[in-house]
Amino acid sequence: MPRDLPQEDPLLRMQRDLKRALKKKPEDIKWGMVIDIAKCIGCHACTIACVAENKLPPGVVYRVVLEESTGNYPYVRRRFIPRPCLHCQNPPCTKACPVTATWKTEQGAVIVDYNRCIGCRYCLVACPYAARTSDFGEWYTGETPELPGKLFGRKAAANGYETQPAAEYGRKWPERGHGSPVGNARKCHFCLHRLKVGMLPACTTTCIGRATIFGDRTDPQSLVYEMIGSPRVFVLKEELGTRPSVYYLK
Amino acid sequence: MTERWQRILIILSIIGLVVGSWGMYQRLVYGHIPMNYGSFVPWGLWVAFDLFFLGLTAGAFLITMLTYVFRIKLLADLGPLAVFTVLVTLLCEFLIISMDLGHPLRTYRLLITPNFGSMLFWLVVFIVSMWLIYIPWLYLLLRGQLVAWGNDPQRPGQRFYRFLAGGKTTYTPAEQERDHRLCRYLSYVSLPIGVIFFGAHGAIFAILHNRPLWNSAMLPLIFIMAALLSGGALITFLAYLYQPDDKLIHPLGHVVLLILFTFLFLEALQIFVGYQSKITGIVTSLDLIIVGPYWWAFWIIHVVIGSAIPAFLLIRYGDNSRMVAIACFLIIVTFLAVRLNYLIPDLAVYKLEGLQNTFFHQRLRPDYVPNLNEWLVSVWVISLGLLTFLLGTRWLPVIQAGRGEAEHV
Repeated sequence: MPRDLPQEDPLLRMQRDLKRALKKKPEDIKWGMVIDIAKCIGCHACTIACVAENKLPPGVVYRVVLEESTGNYPYVRRRFIPRPCLHCQNPPCTKACPVTATWKTEQGAVIVDYNRCIGCRYCLVACPYAARTSDFGEWYTGETPELPGKLFGRKAAANGYETQPAAEYGRKWPERGHGSPVGNARKCHFCLHRLKVGMLPACTTTCIGRATIFGDRTDPQSLVYEMIGSPRVFVLKEELGTRPSVYYLK
Repeated sequence: MTERWQRILIILSIIGLVVGSWGMYQRLVYGHIPMNYGSFVPWGLWVAFDLFFLGLTAGAFLITMLTYVFRIKLLADLGPLAVFTVLVTLLCEFLIISMDLGHPLRTYRLLITPNFGSMLFWLVVFIVSMWLIYIPWLYLLLRGQLVAWGNDPQRPGQRFYRFLAGGKTTYTPAEQERDHRLCRYLSYVSLPIGVIFFGAHGAIFAILHNRPLWNSAMLPLIFIMAALLSGGALITFLAYLYQPDDKLIHPLGHVVLLILFTFLFLEALQIFVGYQSKITGIVTSLDLIIVGPYWWAFWIIHVVIGSAIPAFLLIRYGDNSRMVAIACFLIIVTFLAVRLNYLIPDLAVYKLEGLQNTFFHQRLRPDYVPNLNEWLVSVWVISLGLLTFLLGTRWLPVIQAGRGEAEHV
């Protein structure tokens, strides 16, 4: 680990790492994330960025920030642990799915095919980290009134924004109603749609403490590779043998 | 069962269908929005009912085992009734779990993109196997009577029975013997399928290493015993209603008592080992069951009404068929509490420290209580099942076909 303070914004380095990774063959990339708990201030910006990026409805959260208080007065500390999907290398959720609607890609991201998922929620039960949520079809703007629009006859309703789902997995999804992703299990996918176009995940970009590091964990030149080698590194629930691709620094 | 009681129950089930239809409307029009389960407790009342109905199918399995393995031939007379009960409970199970799925119309995916490593996939395979075994089995058991009813010009619906009999007007002893031989083969097949089927219920939960209360090799065995208990109680109760022969009821009562004690022993073992392990996740879940806000569901409904009173009745009045039937009825109606107490407590415990401080949205909390809509859907399914059973025993020769079955074992 270098002992000097970083001379540039880690985001710039991660951006270069990403650009380099995308030049490799897809099967040679293995995405990984490192979250430095010492830097996380619990602002929850990553949670909000993720919700905004993926237009998550009520009750669906991909990335939460766990808050713990430790110690006794006056030696009390608060600890914040952002918890996205940990994209386990030995994921229990993919084994649970009866219709192969969720699997680990060759790049190590665990994804969900919304058109296959039957909504049995067995993967939610199987996940040790509560990283999956089910979309029960709720709306933030469900009870807001609709008014006829003044422009081109469109409805100027508050739910106009919410009606159009985000382009998760790089696909155009139909208007929010009863069809997918409503009724499906949903989870963090490392913002694959952003990665495809050379952008870092929303949570990584927005983190004000630069606590979230993302990149190709098999690239020795990448920042994430360097961080994974830190003696401070640990993973959540290591005893379960899930081998997450999201690491933490104490 | 008397004609009067049949009419009362038919009326009650129709009322149940009407009342429950509000819940069905909510579910079909608004999806899962009007329901109370969420992402931290994703399985609720309907999955508990699913386990309950699947357990009730064990009644036929029990009769088969006692008849063909333990050679209690007299119980074979209950064969058609037991098989018909299985089909009705499988229907209820199918309906209620379909309501729970996010996309029930996509279940064909199990054929197109199956995951052979998923326990849930294999459970569905065994459920389908049960249908494939029990439908022809019931038909073969009823065929003789269907032919007889199809030949009876005084019987209402004679043409319908002739149609069900495949147009047959005669039923020779050779055909009868062939049908009974096929029934025997189906019953032999049903034995290992049944054991794996009921064990698979438990395995779905037992293989999850992140669920400390469930993650035990004993859970599949507990589920097998739970199924035998609820299914055995059901078939004993139905035997009292439809074929009240002391020679049938008394041995069944003894069997149910033995299974009850075995089940309670395994349950006590699980609780004892759980507390002794002092693993936080297990102890917290057990505390929810034993001393939590729903302690009464465990102590009063399950232990007292569903176990202690039936055990007392079966021991003290084991030779009184009426008391045996009451004991079995108590076991059946309280068994949902057993299923809920297995399902909810582990889900209701946060699996990550700090998660309790993250969100307060109803779907992201482990506090779960089934709401009225969920109960109404359950009432609708139960009412449909009850009505199907009552009309089936009325319009099909389910009871009549059982008489004399023992000779064919």
